[in-house]
Amino acid sequence: MFKMSEYAFVAAILATGLALILYLGYALSGLRAARMQTAGATVRTGVMGFSSGPRTAGLGRYATILGWLGFAFLTAWVIFRTLATGHGPFANMYEFSVAFAWGILGAYYWFEHSYHQRILALFALPVALAMMLYATTISSVVEPLVPALQNNLLLTVHVAVAIVAYGSFTIAFAAALLFIIQPEGGRWGLPKPEILDDISYKAVVVGFPFLTAVIVLGAVWAETAWGRYWSWDPKETASLVTWLIYGAYLHARVVRNWRGRKAAYLLMLGFAATLFTYFGNLFFGGLHSYSGLG
Amino acid sequence: MTYEADTGRLPGDASPPPAEALERDGGIGVDGFLEGLWDLLTSMKFGVIVILALAALGLVGTMVIQAPPGIASDAAAKADWLDEIRPKYGGWTGILDQLQVFTIFESVWFRALAALLTASLIACSAHRLPGLWKSATRPHVAIGEAFFSHAPQHEFMAVRGSGEEIQTRVTGVLRKHHYRVVSEDDGTVHLYADKFRWGPFGTVIGHLSLVVILAGALVGSAFGFRDTGFVVAEGSTVPVTSGEGISVELVQFQDAYYTTTGAPADYASDLIIYRDGAEVARQTIRVNEPLRYGGLSFYQSFYGPAAAIRVTDAKGAAVFADGVPLAWTENESGRRVGSFVIPGADLTVWIIGTAGTSDPKIAPGQMRVEVYKGSDGTAVAGETIDQRTSVALAGYTFAFDREMQYTGLSVARDPGTPLVWLGSVLIIVGFVLVLMFPHRRIWGRLVVRADGRGMLSLAAAGRRDVNSNTEFTDLVTEIRTAFTTPADA
Repeated sequence: MFKMSEYAFVAAILATGLALILYLGYALSGLRAARMQTAGATVRTGVMGFSSGPRTAGLGRYATILGWLGFAFLTAWVIFRTLATGHGPFANMYEFSVAFAWGILGAYYWFEHSYHQRILALFALPVALAMMLYATTISSVVEPLVPALQNNLLLTVHVAVAIVAYGSFTIAFAAALLFIIQPEGGRWGLPKPEILDDISYKAVVVGFPFLTAVIVLGAVWAETAWGRYWSWDPKETASLVTWLIYGAYLHARVVRNWRGRKAAYLLMLGFAATLFTYFGNLFFGGLHSYSGLG
Repeated sequence: MTYEADTGRLPGDASPPPAEALERDGGIGVDGFLEGLWDLLTSMKFGVIVILALAALGLVGTMVIQAPPGIASDAAAKADWLDEIRPKYGGWTGILDQLQVFTIFESVWFRALAALLTASLIACSAHRLPGLWKSATRPHVAIGEAFFSHAPQHEFMAVRGSGEEIQTRVTGVLRKHHYRVVSEDDGTVHLYADKFRWGPFGTVIGHLSLVVILAGALVGSAFGFRDTGFVVAEGSTVPVTSGEGISVELVQFQDAYYTTTGAPADYASDLIIYRDGAEVARQTIRVNEPLRYGGLSFYQSFYGPAAAIRVTDAKGAAVFADGVPLAWTENESGRRVGSFVIPGADLTVWIIGTAGTSDPKIAPGQMRVEVYKGSDGTAVAGETIDQRTSVALAGYTFAFDREMQYTGLSVARDPGTPLVWLGSVLIIVGFVLVLMFPHRRIWGRLVVRADGRGMLSLAAAGRRDVNSNTEFTDLVTEIRTAFTTPADA
């Protein structure tokens, strides 16, 4: 099983990397088409104002297929690794990083499926790929669990829920970044700012309750294992900071003139906090310091 | 931006107008102040700023080292701790300490912001509730014609039949989809249909759940008991200082390690709980398996070496016989130390263990016994002895019977915990209500002429979101179909 999981992981890296190259080609073809459009050519606009895009549809389709393949390989990795370890593959930095990439790809394809904005992949897939490449630098040997982690149910659920939240936040980040790099009103054939804003919002609407669940489940676990539901452990605190930032974002979006650019900057901050929470245990120690890297 | 949620302008809608738009009477004095305060607390901008300020404090709390709990009340320990971190923070140490940065989550700043947030949460909820209640119980049914051409989603259809007949058909379709339908007739038939009208209350529940959680934290810190450094050596019984007559005996402590990696595999303490001397509970606790008795919980927290020490006086009478946990570590040498007091004498005894095989003074298997005057701390005598030997010091005989282990427990009684769990459940309930049961509202307007030809206008409130879009479109299609069958066809 362990061998199978390793193969699946390598296949996932290759598929995702290739998908990213195709997405890049797809985006560049769009850039040319957008220039032609400004030169006077007409462009179809899809239903509900979602630009179906003048891009080379074939490239995009193959990119999507490859990306799905990457996601499928990671799913296989999750299954094989779970069978090999007896718990959800979320117990150390290696497992969590690959699972994070899995979450990003899952969230990305959910959004690609409902919004048809392949350009998002340009920022979402590199994060997933980076997570996988980072995981290759860490030992993947299956190690038995230290006493604090010996709670298969909470370990699996607490981190699985975190992966959904982090994956969604990555999509919110990708859309917000696309929003920010465009000049007012949109350009370069990129998705309309309104759609990007909507994607970000939807992603946070999914991610925020999940992050809440991560914190609540973490509190339940902490109450069982550490003796108190909240101890201001650095990772705990960082997750609270992340939660507060996304909470602020959801409220800021209702303030009329804070929508759009300001909200997008909050999402950048939120994603920075997400990464800080994620990598935090590497440098601030505390009770979560069982990354398998110490 | 056209896709914006225009909820603020919809009829019968519950969302509050922005605070800036609230009418201000301009009066000064208490009323003016209270009104201003209310505006501030219910202002979304203010809320966002408070949340971000809390996030900033949290960030400081993760970046700047935090003082161990309980150190603030012990001036000497705090001074020691500050000296320890001084090399890292240099001249800033004093300033940061003054600003309570090292105890940021107990600081004035943090408490003030948490209080502001609580006030804001309560104010906003109180602000929204009446509107939500009204829109759930007494919705605005009759609304102007203009709305039907301006609503985010709207549809017009020509219909035939008598007013009642048409109304029955439309109502039938809506009811089939679990909509509640209310109508008013003032010559024009006004229809209002909605579903999940309690969904929006999820917002209020979600926000107030945070107040419940904060209340739980307050109750816990005001009425709770916590001892995170409760140590018992094997074979010893130690009273818990919570004032309930509870004491804990450690029968045995076991630590196990994986043979493959040497990583810890298990820490287990075999505990017996006594209440007023009678055994009331017994359990082997592990890191993920605490013992709960009454309101108290006992958690496996840490462990270490202990020494079984017997002290006899000059007449040969035993004055002390117990396991002494070596629960502290000497800073310079890294040796483990523990202490006890000889009953009825002004003497404190320190038992010092080895720092390891490289320790030049105390070899593994040895203990050093040092006797000090309890009152002024002057050294009386000291000697290093082997296991199963004894030494005469200060008029007493000290026997080091054997080495063993102690367990370190975290003992807690937190009456706020149920509130925290209640709040946690409520916040999830709030999310489920808001996300899975969004309030769907449809208004209808039916004008029927004498010749039986009528015009039905339908409009839906809400965001331009894919799900509610589809639902409205499907309903309209079904209503159209209802009119083309059988009476009309």
